[in-house]
Amino acid sequence: MGISDVIPVPVAIDEELEKWTIFGQPVADVWFTTTEKIHQIIEMGPIKNIFNWGRKNSVYFLMQPMGCCGVEMFVFGAAPYDSDRFGCIPRNTPRQTDVMIMSGYITRKYLPVFKNLWEQMPEPKWCIAIGECAISGGPFYDSYNIIQNTADYFPIDVFIPGCPPRPEQFLEGLMQLQEKIKQRKDKRGYY
Amino acid sequence: MDGIIESITQFANQEPAIFALIIGIIGAAIIAGVVNVGAMLLIWGERKVLGDFAARFGPNRVGGRWGILQLGADAIKLFTKEDIIPAEADKGVYVWAPIVASMATMLVAAAIPFGALHINGQDYPLVVANMDISAFYVEAALSIMSIAVFMAGYSSNNKYSMLGAFRGMARMIAYEVPMGVCVISVAIMAHSLNLVEIAQNQTLWYAFAQPLGFVIFVIALITDLGRIPFDQSEGEEEIISGYNTEYSGIRWGLLYFQEYNNALLGSILLTLLFLGGWQGPIIPIPLLDIISPLIWMLMKMIIVLWFFIWVRSSLVRLRIDQVTDLGWKWMLPLSIVNLGWAVLVGSYFA
Amino acid sequence: MTTASEVLSSLQSAFPGAIKDPRVESDARLWATVDPKRIYDVCKYLTDKLNFDHYSGSAGVDWIANNEMEVVEIMASHGAHPVVAMLKVRTPRDNPSIKSLTGLYWNADWYEREIWEMFGINFENHSGLYPLLLSDELMGVWPWRKDFKGYPDLTTGQRAVALPTANGYTEFRIPPTPAEIEAGTVPKERPKYPSFREREEAEIKSDSEMIMHLGPQHAMVPGPFLLDILVEGERVRKGFLDVGYIHKGIEKIMENRTWLQGITYTDRMCYVASLSNNECYCGAVEKILGLEVPERAQYIRVIVEELSRIQSHLIGTGEFLTLIAGVGYAPWQYMIIDREHVISLIESVTGARLTHSFVRFGGVRNDLPDDFAEKCKITLPYIKSRINEFIELFAQDPIYDLRMKDVGVLPAETAKEVGIAGPALRASGVSYDMRVEDPILVYPDLDFKVITGTKGDCADRIDVRLREILESIYIIEQCLDRIPSGPIKPEAKVPKKVPAGEAYYRVEDPRGEMGMYVISDGGDKPYRVKVRGPFYATLQTLPPLLEGVYVADVVAIAGSMDGCPSEADR
Repeated sequence: MGISDVIPVPVAIDEELEKWTIFGQPVADVWFTTTEKIHQIIEMGPIKNIFNWGRKNSVYFLMQPMGCCGVEMFVFGAAPYDSDRFGCIPRNTPRQTDVMIMSGYITRKYLPVFKNLWEQMPEPKWCIAIGECAISGGPFYDSYNIIQNTADYFPIDVFIPGCPPRPEQFLEGLMQLQEKIKQRKDKRGYY
Repeated sequence: MDGIIESITQFANQEPAIFALIIGIIGAAIIAGVVNVGAMLLIWGERKVLGDFAARFGPNRVGGRWGILQLGADAIKLFTKEDIIPAEADKGVYVWAPIVASMATMLVAAAIPFGALHINGQDYPLVVANMDISAFYVEAALSIMSIAVFMAGYSSNNKYSMLGAFRGMARMIAYEVPMGVCVISVAIMAHSLNLVEIAQNQTLWYAFAQPLGFVIFVIALITDLGRIPFDQSEGEEEIISGYNTEYSGIRWGLLYFQEYNNALLGSILLTLLFLGGWQGPIIPIPLLDIISPLIWMLMKMIIVLWFFIWVRSSLVRLRIDQVTDLGWKWMLPLSIVNLGWAVLVGSYFA
Repeated sequence: MTTASEVLSSLQSAFPGAIKDPRVESDARLWATVDPKRIYDVCKYLTDKLNFDHYSGSAGVDWIANNEMEVVEIMASHGAHPVVAMLKVRTPRDNPSIKSLTGLYWNADWYEREIWEMFGINFENHSGLYPLLLSDELMGVWPWRKDFKGYPDLTTGQRAVALPTANGYTEFRIPPTPAEIEAGTVPKERPKYPSFREREEAEIKSDSEMIMHLGPQHAMVPGPFLLDILVEGERVRKGFLDVGYIHKGIEKIMENRTWLQGITYTDRMCYVASLSNNECYCGAVEKILGLEVPERAQYIRVIVEELSRIQSHLIGTGEFLTLIAGVGYAPWQYMIIDREHVISLIESVTGARLTHSFVRFGGVRNDLPDDFAEKCKITLPYIKSRINEFIELFAQDPIYDLRMKDVGVLPAETAKEVGIAGPALRASGVSYDMRVEDPILVYPDLDFKVITGTKGDCADRIDVRLREILESIYIIEQCLDRIPSGPIKPEAKVPKKVPAGEAYYRVEDPRGEMGMYVISDGGDKPYRVKVRGPFYATLQTLPPLLEGVYVADVVAIAGSMDGCPSEADR
């Protein structure tokens, strides 16, 4: 990783900068240490509370129905349960989402796709596993095509049991996630 | 007080160039603030009104029961998001697209009158740069957004974005012409290309004087703003999110925000050109009479914006070929018919 | 009216010696084993001479005790007569191979590919035997064979390995674990075939064309499936489908569950139509058991299934509207609100919103609540008025008209040929409804119309669906008037073990003809359950419909089919 990844400078200058030193250390190292330090300060200080307030009140979810829970997710976003009240709206592209709702069975064929989608989401991001299938494989636990241990692949913050859970439980899960973000106990909030 | 004004006048006389610069900077700061706050309120308002149309509440958890701080939360989140630039994107263009979009709206905001103050029986328009040809200038600057859309779509190296960019360009070309012709029609009737004069000269609203032109202008404006039923460049369900598919975090926030900025400015333009601008009866209450033109302006704008949202919640999206068909085969000839009408009527009244 | 015995005698006279062990179960069911060499000719004869123009699917069965494989071809007719012919073809297990029917029936393609990847039965003269539901890693395992060695080890974490590709992207793959290789579930020899990506890229003819992926995650898909379109600008030249992203292997799992446990799996096959899936499975098992369903239970089943049809059509249409108008469009939200009323009615009976497991062998789980009729009297007229409003709205909306009229037109003849099912078929003007063709429960006593469209375009498909809701309301009102009191379960206890036998049972799912072929070997578990899903049939017809349309029409056409990929993948 060079400085050109962080600030837009031509690659030639980047290579030149790699040779520079400051306090006997490469410039790049000092640069990154400082940003890390800034992150640490933010992590410790009260400004993180403001960040977290913003983050917890604006979790956009990826519209990605997978199984029975996908239907309930659809209803959860629509008028009867209205997730928009909590500032939680569906987006179609992973680039603009904050939370991935794992709404069903993950198969061998879908896991690579799913992992790709997860990687495309910008940090900080969270994952909610909804339904038995997403948590442990559910009724399909002994299928040849179902992944059982989704928590090994994704840092899941909230598990919502049910087959499928009611939309009210979706809201409950969302509020749990918001509480976790607020208390800094979420798995991916360090960014 | 008098002393301060006197010294300012003195300074203005001594250093006219520097004075103009300072006034420009202050004005720019004010309009940037006004427009951006207005756009934030518009996004919030759209979410609430859309919710109302769909028999739900919209945001109501952040900042009291009206959810007024929802946009603040969204902004904080977007600002602190990871900044992703796709590996194969055209980095320079990708980074500049949201900035160009912001610049476009600021260029419009510089020349558009936001209203007027009514002091001692006279209207003083609130405008930073009072140009002779501001109607044309604003209409042209509004379409710079299309270039930003094209930049964003082209640079993302994404098939959906690419398609969205092409659609946006095709749509812009098809509708910019009838829109321009409508502006000319209005200018002919008003005998001026200055938005301030156009607004002040409207004894009869041009929406009534040239109803055909009004309808065409509204349709062309909705198209220019990229709102349903003409949001093919975003086309959420077909091409994911259109030109901004690859944008995330604050860059996407900027692009998204500029759409609403544009909608706000578009509503102002529509009000000025066709709905009599800030004209309306003066409220005979001290202090309120000063800002009563502003109140009228705001009310008309809100009605226009509410109309946009109403359209969004009740119409189906058109296909891109139908949009361009409509533009070239109907809007353009009809706008020319309207131009003829404006020439006839305008010369008769003159 | 052609009956099964007439069909049999006609076949026997035309193909002497080729038809073995014929069994005429009723006027509408014919079972026979056909000589493998003659199956193509027999099917051709059935289609040309006896009006069997509906190839309804095929099922593979592994008779490991006899060292044989069996393919059952399910032949029916689009309304000419009610006979369903179940033609079995047997082939040795060592090198299973039978003649392909793709030359006769366009829609045989997917059914045969599925049997090939699951059982390893080769189909001669099939032009493209590529995997359909399984991922490449599982090819060659033949998971539905009876000697499939357990289930691969999926419990070790960190299985998805990031592999950088040549052009700088990162792909995730799941290579087999050592445990799996040792257990023998990873085949040493895999069949050779070009991958999906290679097949579709071979179609690109010029620089101006590109392939756009709509899926597996896309706003258009109601569940993960991959629809790739080859576009030239805004025009679609060709469509490619890849399904199986949520293939759960329900048919295999059901072989390892008791008869009763199987009901819960039918729920999760198509979660918005779970009551008709329950009905289909239970009906098939009842047929083997020879159980008679008490009349009250029959009425209750009809009521909840029709309610389920209403809610399914409502959410299907609602999803479709978001596709053509965006999420800001208000009417789709109204549909979801109305659906909640219906859901709460169903919930008051079954206790669940989506997965009911309500229908039982020979009856239903519980009786209707006391105030059910009163609740219906409030809700149903309300839904009716709302649906009339929607129909009026879409009839008046000029932009809707522009978008939907003459888009994705499917003429009646083509619709029959490609084997599309349900409202999509009826929208083309083909009056084909299982409730009339293969009547079950109390449907013969009830008065209702089969709703048909005229042109078969997107507008028709939505219109048919909405008017079917009105028809369903009418059916429920009749049922509520006529429902007798009495038991809701059979008096004798339903045995745990089902006697050996087989049955094919069809119901009208909200998405069309749903059939289940259940085989029992006398044990406490099914020997084989084959699901002939309606959306499986409908999904297959999507690519040819997309040729030459605009990109925006793709979502309109796919949305108007009211998808449920979970049922297609099973």
